Amino acid sequence: MSVLLILMLPFVGILLPPLLQRQGRLAATLGAGIPTLLAFGLLMSLGPSVLAGEVLLASREWVPAMGLTAGLRVDGLGFLFATMTLGIGLLVITYAHFYMKKDDPLGRFYAYLLLFMGAMLGIVLSENVLLMALFWEITSLSSFLLIGYSSHDSEARRGARMALAITGLGGFCLFAGLVVLGQIAGSYELSVILASGDLITSHDWYVPMLVLVLLGAFTKSAQFPFHFWLPNAMKAPTPVSAYLHSATMVKAGVFLLARLHPALAGTSPWFFLVGGVGIATMFFAAYVAFYRHDLKGLLAYSTISHLGLITALFGFGTAGAAVVGVFHIMNHAAFKASLFMTAGIIDHQTGTRDIRILGGLRKAMPFTMVLALLGSAAMAGIPLFNGFISKELFLKETLDLPLMAGAPWVFPVVATAGALFSMAYSVRLVHGVFFKDPTEKTPKEARDPSMGMLVPVGILVAICVIVGIAAEQTAGPLLAAAAGSTVGGELPYYSLSLWHGFTLELLMSAIAIGGGVVLYLQRARLYEIADRWPQLTGQMAFEKVQGLILSFAEGLTARLENGSLQRYIVLLLGMALVAGALPFLEHGFVTGTAELTPTNPVAIAVWALLVVATLATVFTHRSRITAIICLSVVGLLISIIFVYLSAPDLALTQLSVEVVTILLLLLALFVLPKVAPPESSTLRKIRDATLAAIGGAGMGLISWAVMTRPQDSISDYYLENATYPVGGGTNVVNVILVDFRGFDTLGEVAVLVLAAFGVYTMLRYARHTHVEGVDDMASDRYPVVLVSVSRPLLALILLMALYIFLRGHYLPGGGFIGGLVASVALILQYLASGIDWAKERMGVSFRYVAVAGVLLATLSGGAAFLVEQPFLTMTLLGLKIPLVGEIDYVMTLLFDLGIFLAVVGGTMTILSQLSHMQEDREPFDEEARAKETDPWKP
Amino acid sequence: MNHWITLPVLIPFVAAILIEIVGRHHIGARRVLAVCAGLGTIAAGAYMLLRTHQGEIFTYAMGGWEAPFGVALVADGLSALLVTLTGVVSLFAALYSMNRHDTKGKFFHFFLQMQVAGICGAVLTGDLFSLFVCFEIMLLASYNLLVYTGEERGLKAGVHYVILNLAGSALFLVAIGTLYGVTGTLNLADMALRVGELGPEDTALVRAGGLLLMVVFMLKAAVLPLHLWLPNVYGSATAPVAAFFAILTKVGVYAILRVSTLVFGSEAGVAADVLAPYLLPLAALTLALGMLGALGSLRLRKALGFLIVASIGTMLMSIGLYTPEGIAAGLYYLVHSTLGIAMLFLLVDLIARQRGEKDDRLVVARAPAQRALLGLLFFAGAIAVVGLPPLSGFLGKVWVLQASLMTPHVVVVWVAILLTSVLALVALSRAGSLIFWKGEEADDEERVPRATAFELLPVFGLLACLILYTLFSGPAAELCMMIAEGLLSPGDYIEAVMGVRP
Amino acid sequence: MEALIASAIAVLGGSGIYLVLRARTFTVILGLALLAIAVNLFLLSMGRVAPGHAPVIEEGLELGAYVDPLPQAVVLTAIVIGFAMMSFAVVLAITAHFVTGTDHLDGEETS
Repeated sequence: MSVLLILMLPFVGILLPPLLQRQGRLAATLGAGIPTLLAFGLLMSLGPSVLAGEVLLASREWVPAMGLTAGLRVDGLGFLFATMTLGIGLLVITYAHFYMKKDDPLGRFYAYLLLFMGAMLGIVLSENVLLMALFWEITSLSSFLLIGYSSHDSEARRGARMALAITGLGGFCLFAGLVVLGQIAGSYELSVILASGDLITSHDWYVPMLVLVLLGAFTKSAQFPFHFWLPNAMKAPTPVSAYLHSATMVKAGVFLLARLHPALAGTSPWFFLVGGVGIATMFFAAYVAFYRHDLKGLLAYSTISHLGLITALFGFGTAGAAVVGVFHIMNHAAFKASLFMTAGIIDHQTGTRDIRILGGLRKAMPFTMVLALLGSAAMAGIPLFNGFISKELFLKETLDLPLMAGAPWVFPVVATAGALFSMAYSVRLVHGVFFKDPTEKTPKEARDPSMGMLVPVGILVAICVIVGIAAEQTAGPLLAAAAGSTVGGELPYYSLSLWHGFTLELLMSAIAIGGGVVLYLQRARLYEIADRWPQLTGQMAFEKVQGLILSFAEGLTARLENGSLQRYIVLLLGMALVAGALPFLEHGFVTGTAELTPTNPVAIAVWALLVVATLATVFTHRSRITAIICLSVVGLLISIIFVYLSAPDLALTQLSVEVVTILLLLLALFVLPKVAPPESSTLRKIRDATLAAIGGAGMGLISWAVMTRPQDSISDYYLENATYPVGGGTNVVNVILVDFRGFDTLGEVAVLVLAAFGVYTMLRYARHTHVEGVDDMASDRYPVVLVSVSRPLLALILLMALYIFLRGHYLPGGGFIGGLVASVALILQYLASGIDWAKERMGVSFRYVAVAGVLLATLSGGAAFLVEQPFLTMTLLGLKIPLVGEIDYVMTLLFDLGIFLAVVGGTMTILSQLSHMQEDREPFDEEARAKETDPWKP
Repeated sequence: MNHWITLPVLIPFVAAILIEIVGRHHIGARRVLAVCAGLGTIAAGAYMLLRTHQGEIFTYAMGGWEAPFGVALVADGLSALLVTLTGVVSLFAALYSMNRHDTKGKFFHFFLQMQVAGICGAVLTGDLFSLFVCFEIMLLASYNLLVYTGEERGLKAGVHYVILNLAGSALFLVAIGTLYGVTGTLNLADMALRVGELGPEDTALVRAGGLLLMVVFMLKAAVLPLHLWLPNVYGSATAPVAAFFAILTKVGVYAILRVSTLVFGSEAGVAADVLAPYLLPLAALTLALGMLGALGSLRLRKALGFLIVASIGTMLMSIGLYTPEGIAAGLYYLVHSTLGIAMLFLLVDLIARQRGEKDDRLVVARAPAQRALLGLLFFAGAIAVVGLPPLSGFLGKVWVLQASLMTPHVVVVWVAILLTSVLALVALSRAGSLIFWKGEEADDEERVPRATAFELLPVFGLLACLILYTLFSGPAAELCMMIAEGLLSPGDYIEAVMGVRP
Repeated sequence: MEALIASAIAVLGGSGIYLVLRARTFTVILGLALLAIAVNLFLLSMGRVAPGHAPVIEEGLELGAYVDPLPQAVVLTAIVIGFAMMSFAVVLAITAHFVTGTDHLDGEETS
């Protein structure tokens, strides 16, 4: 339980600093410091049991399906890292209070810092590796926020994005690797994974899994060639660098190596990948660090180098090396955090971090000088400091590598060379800043800072010195516990004493220290040589790659999504053709065996007319009125065909829809150009014609294939059940529409009403956008002949509509057709007599007729609920109404009436809107009106 | 009688009618009705989840006509999940619209509720033709929502959207016709029974019908190469509409999933596995092109549109594995990405407004006035859609990886997921850094419209949903797993509808 | 007879598709109208060809004497939905023309 509390405290604390910020800087700092201190205290209370070798576990289920648990674990390694995270965190919070500028939003800064702290704790205290990966990515995210804290600085923004891209990429690889790892081990719990080392290392997937996991570790720990994000992250405020880039974030990578050491280490892929990359990074980064003029840049590369050293140690795969690796983690955290803070002090007090400008600060900043001197000595690996012990143990480990038996000198030589540069840059740091003569005046007058900034550094430096002198007595127990969990078994013999006699590694240390000094003295010549080398950095490569991807993405997107609808339609059609053709290509086209229906001359004549009319529509499509006329002929012929194919309902519907559609298209031509320009190229036309021919042929062939097959469908049921007492009608099609499949019909009128509403809205906008040509419609209105014919006609047609509607259940007809016919009659009045005349006499808004129709249909369907029948049950044989008696089929009629009204309302809304486009009576300013009636708006 | 099955359709449908009748002249009444309908749909969905989460399947014979003759509604875990999700997104879209969006056109709430009804009908119906009708309701409502403001942007996008979908509807009918011609039925469960009995001479015909149907669904779901319409359409809609559209593509995904497992599953005789070989590769390419598009977009809303495409790719790739884990992971991700994208669409509206005339274009502009608050929300939203911890997208991606690990497609899926995750990371960190960090400070003179608490409420609401979804991932994943297993053994579904097992 | 209907569907469908691939809204709508007719005929043909069969129940007729009513119901619904879509598309074309000043599909003259 207390483990969970330790983890939660920083997350809970996130809210405090921003909230307390208004009470002043101190309040914000306390808001960040107190949760940290509490967590630290709680952690320490666990110390005795952890140091005694206990592993504290606390687990809760979270997502069993993915093997993810909210499992926490405190063992030696986790305890060590948690201690560093919280301990150095406390120091950094203190330091930042004095370091950050007065006008910096400190609350936000501390909130980010606590977020990061919590995530880091999560990594080191997770029992479930997926949970660990989860926290892993949160550290990347929070470090993105921290690095980009000075967001007005373009370098900071770029650095933040680069860090996020690299560590994010690594994070994704890591969680992929961990998924494989869990799959191999059969569980994502560390307890299981750590115990299945043999199973894992002998598995087929070991190498790919290892590569993925290592990508995560290397990117986070800034190993070559992913190191370049770290120096670019130096734009972060110095407390952030001191925290993230010495003790925590970058250490997550080596933590991972240590954490999974028992399960993954000891194989030759592990050795060459981890050991090789580590040692290469160690040398390379030390070399580069020597050439950095920016203090923080130097420290950043030094950090990379030391992380390489630690990585190499874990890579060696032996228990002994692992112990040294853990030891160097502790030591490096202490001295590097102190040095970053020192660099921050120098920057804060002088206004620059450039070693070429700085110099001679020993007089102005004596305290700082002492602390820097001690910290650098630890970094350089000078005896009596903690860095010396671990570095010497490291050199010793390089001498005994069984897998390098062929070339045993490689690792020791590279390691010594790395140590030599390490010495050289450490000397440079101290001498260059405090002792050599200054070349120019610093931007600010240098002097020692307040105690608040010095004390945190002092504490860290003290640790370096104490551990350096009496390692066994001070760091011994913690190291033993941490190394114990890293090795995963009995600890090997090791000695932390200063003096091991005259050994080879002592000689190597001596060479490194001596050589480093010599190198520093020769620096001027070395810088000159280095300046002549071409600059090719990982950062440039990264930006080049990113630029390439970006321009590729932009180019590709602009090219594909070019905003041409014709292309999209061609793609859709192409897909459909492929989808339709593939099965036939694979399985062959089989014609059915059913007997064909004989044909007759009339049918052939109608067919020929249809083909001619259709093709005429295509060929005349640019002169639009002609095309519409051709289209209307097609529609007429189709109605005839429907009659012939024993579908009178369809013929009626088609006919009335055809009339309305043609009317609509003609009205549209009042606005749209009546003639279209020729524009398609011949090539385009051929392409389209080919596609069209294939598409049409495909439809025809499928239809042929189906029509020639014998039929076995569910339709007989409808024929058997349509009449009394079940369906109550003889027109089966209508019974299907209003009863069997009433749901579809209800949906269908909803579609019609939606269309009507859409038309209404759009035309209201259109009317307010004055365009020439609209007024054409107004002229030539009310032809006398039409007026005199249409009025008597109206009554007649309406009567017919009513008749069609009423008989629908028994003979062809029904709500749909009746509604459409009525609409045609009504719209004739509009066209003949003008809107004002018609409006006065009708006095009803068709939109509400339409909605009322839908409501009526829905209600008559819902009546079934009253007698516990399913929705849309029409034949309510049990429903008795007082006085009226049983109402068997009334619901059918009401439903159909609803449909009728909806169709009339919907169609009329569309047509009437179209035919009085120049009219406008209602207030258009919807917003203004809404304000009047809306009680919620001020 | 399980009348409750009709509620997800009837609640929004009746609400839409009432909005036009009762709320004709009173925007307040329309709003109250819209909120009630949203809550009602959520409640209906939640109740459905409660009833179906053990794998039970309920049917409802519309009009009292037994399947396959009448239209049957079928409620299972999958439809319950989608109904609930639709309800949640519609509620927040409706709430957000009350800030200056629902007064831009007259019938916003009417269209929105109609669309909800259409979606719920589509996921509930067990009949192929009524699926078509519901799709049409859904589409017409969405056409209207796209152009309801009468702005040029929406109208231009609307022409594309409408015409493309009209062509799609024609194709839908051809597919339905072919399948009816071969099988003689329109009911999906009945069709599943009948395709199993078809002879080899009908193989090509039934498979062609099936594939044509899948092309239609892919158009709705925006699967490559039919995804190109989406970014511009979504990018041109108003914020609440775009946020609600986040659910629209998922109906396509639903249809693909439902029909390809029920009718064209692996035990469907000559019609077996019609889509299975093609779905995964297409989805992987969809994911890749979607993410590249997000990276290459010059406007933030468009980038979000491409992120939808990418998320469709992710979930269909997982579904394309056609294993229980794969489908479950896809469904888990579906819920997550819908919530995440919807939240971002609302948020981007607030951000764009505070950037002045630069709107959502990815160029240097003045920083949003509420930089810290909006930045934080954007950060959270970006985390969600990239699939970073701690939000559920991360879990979804982990699950997809896990599900594909033991299959032959492991390399394709893993490479696609990992690379596109990095692209998403780069795309959104660039956008965020440009808007919130690089932005110039606003002049004091200029009055910038600050987001009100009521505007932020839906954004926070959706974020809260995401957080809850993450916290309760355990039961959610279990539910997805149950649904996936049910889909892969369609016998229960068929028995529930038809009364016989295949 | 079947061949006539299948070829009619092919001609209607092909013509519709060709027009749908044009660049002007109005032409595309004409194409969609043709395509809708083709699709409706196609749907009807899925119930097989039945000239001279009874569409309405009469006393004493065998089941085989009736035409398949289900495709007819489906086509009827499809016609009405198609009409609704058509009118929406026409008005959208008009409105887009008002706003953009062109009837090109992409809202701007490209060539």
